[in-house]
Amino acid sequence: MNNGHIIELENVSKNYQRGPETVHAVKNVSLSVSSGEYVAVIGPSGSGKTTLMNIIGCLDHPSDGRVMINGREIQDENESGLTRLRQTSIGFVFQQFFLIPTLNVIENVTLPALFAGHKPNGRGRDLLEKVGLANRMHHLPGQLSGGEMQRVAIARSLVNAPPILLADEPTGNLDSKNAGMIMDLFGKLNADGVTVVMVTHNTDIVKRCNRTVHIEDGVIRQ
Amino acid sequence: MSFTKVAISNLRRNPVRSLLTGLSLAVSAATLSVVLSLDKGYTDAVTNDLVNKTGVHMYITKEGCPIEAASVIAQGGLSPLYVDESIVARLKKIPELDAVMPFKLFAVTTDDGTRTDIFMGITDAVGKIKPDWRYTAGGWFAAPDSVILGAEMARIENLDIGDRMYVEHFDAEFVISGILARNYGQDDGTFFMPLATAQALVGREGKLSAVALKLSDISAMDTVRNRIRASMPADYFVIGSRELSDGILQFFSSTRAIMFVMVGVAFLISVFGIVNTMLMAVLERRREIAYLKCVGAGKYDLIRLISLETAAIAVAGSAVGALIGMILSPVSGHLLRQFLVAYIPSGAIARPDPVIALAAFAVCTLIGMACSLYPALRAAKIVPMEVLRNE
Repeated sequence: MNNGHIIELENVSKNYQRGPETVHAVKNVSLSVSSGEYVAVIGPSGSGKTTLMNIIGCLDHPSDGRVMINGREIQDENESGLTRLRQTSIGFVFQQFFLIPTLNVIENVTLPALFAGHKPNGRGRDLLEKVGLANRMHHLPGQLSGGEMQRVAIARSLVNAPPILLADEPTGNLDSKNAGMIMDLFGKLNADGVTVVMVTHNTDIVKRCNRTVHIEDGVIRQ
Repeated sequence: MSFTKVAISNLRRNPVRSLLTGLSLAVSAATLSVVLSLDKGYTDAVTNDLVNKTGVHMYITKEGCPIEAASVIAQGGLSPLYVDESIVARLKKIPELDAVMPFKLFAVTTDDGTRTDIFMGITDAVGKIKPDWRYTAGGWFAAPDSVILGAEMARIENLDIGDRMYVEHFDAEFVISGILARNYGQDDGTFFMPLATAQALVGREGKLSAVALKLSDISAMDTVRNRIRASMPADYFVIGSRELSDGILQFFSSTRAIMFVMVGVAFLISVFGIVNTMLMAVLERRREIAYLKCVGAGKYDLIRLISLETAAIAVAGSAVGALIGMILSPVSGHLLRQFLVAYIPSGAIARPDPVIALAAFAVCTLIGMACSLYPALRAAKIVPMEVLRNE
């Protein structure tokens, strides 16, 4: 495994127990993503997209198969190992922004650095400049628009300088103008070398990606 | 940015709820502080009254329950039990005894029932038994109808040396021969008169309530007590003043038990309040906590965060409560005085005590912190994608 791939899944399956029934959410999936790629994951609801993101995001172990993220095999990692991997290697952006309402913008952005145990040393401010919100750093989330909140969330996901950015419908809550701005931002981040994997239903977004992974019934149909 | 700052900012999301939770703990801390102050204060006051201030090391009383005897003597009731005066001569021959003071103690309630006066028949041995007796005016009995007034009685009756005092209950008149300096003990509220006069007033000539004994050397107490016991009739008791105060404190133990049950109930309410608040705070923020896990918050980070939130409430609530408890202690002591049946000490029952306040603060903070455990574990167990996907 590896061969220059930052994300590599080999014959990965994930099964859940739902009452007496075993759900095969992902079946024997193999997927490789090179560093700097911009990948869209598409598929109908219940197809296994979220489970796939869950595994790539080191939030869960696979039931079977091997997963390598940024050079580390996650099936060998315990919970704290996975946490450490999330702190150093992966940034998450969701449809909801999950900003803490009583912390201001800069405090929200630097929060992941607190969990990683290092000082952001001005990186928070740099990222806010990058997303065009340096002038709002002392504002509370309630004083921002939806598009601005998502830009704060993106800045926050990058504060620990992860090489991988996982996004789950990041424009789902935004109007088309703000969605366009966010997608431009993802494009810039990808151009700067960040590997982006994005779950989406939006065909306009899919067109901006280098590669599309279509998943259906837990199986990848590229 | 620090964990503490994040924790406190989380509490600001719902300030009313945080305040109410803190207040519930404050009530517990205040209750604990007040109860501990009352417990310590009452014990100290009784010991001070009956052991330290009296100068009496032992009492000789008639057989019966020693606690009941203690209560009767302390409350000044007219006990049906009495000690024969003839034993006084025998006691005076014991060389280890520095002073032997026979006394007659009784209480008279006014006809309208609003006041109970305590009368005590004494001998001149009182000077040795109570070395800190000081007169602000006058002195020792000049005649059989002389009385010496405690400082508070003189103030209430507004009497001076040479004034005559009529006691309706006995249809008798007395002349004030002395007024005592205030000693903040039971003496302040007592009428003292010659022993023989007191015995005659209640028709108990040659009979005593008890005999108070003072030793030359307190270390010889056990030996002397055993010797006196051996020489006394079998139905006489020799009670140490410490036993007397312990007996009274036993009466107080039921009141103490009720007070501690009250503290327990207050704690129980607080514990449920805090656990409920923190659990609500965790459940309301499940998605946010799930996201924090995504961005690298480990389970210990979340436990730390929730514990810090609880700690902030616990420290603030306990500090406020302990402080309020310290301020309220004298007031509660005054209230308790009105409900006491065993023995009402003369001094303050509860005083502000920083050590007790500190103990109440520490106990409540620890209990508050313990309450964070379950909500913190619930937060740590949140499975991020399950929450983010399903809620």
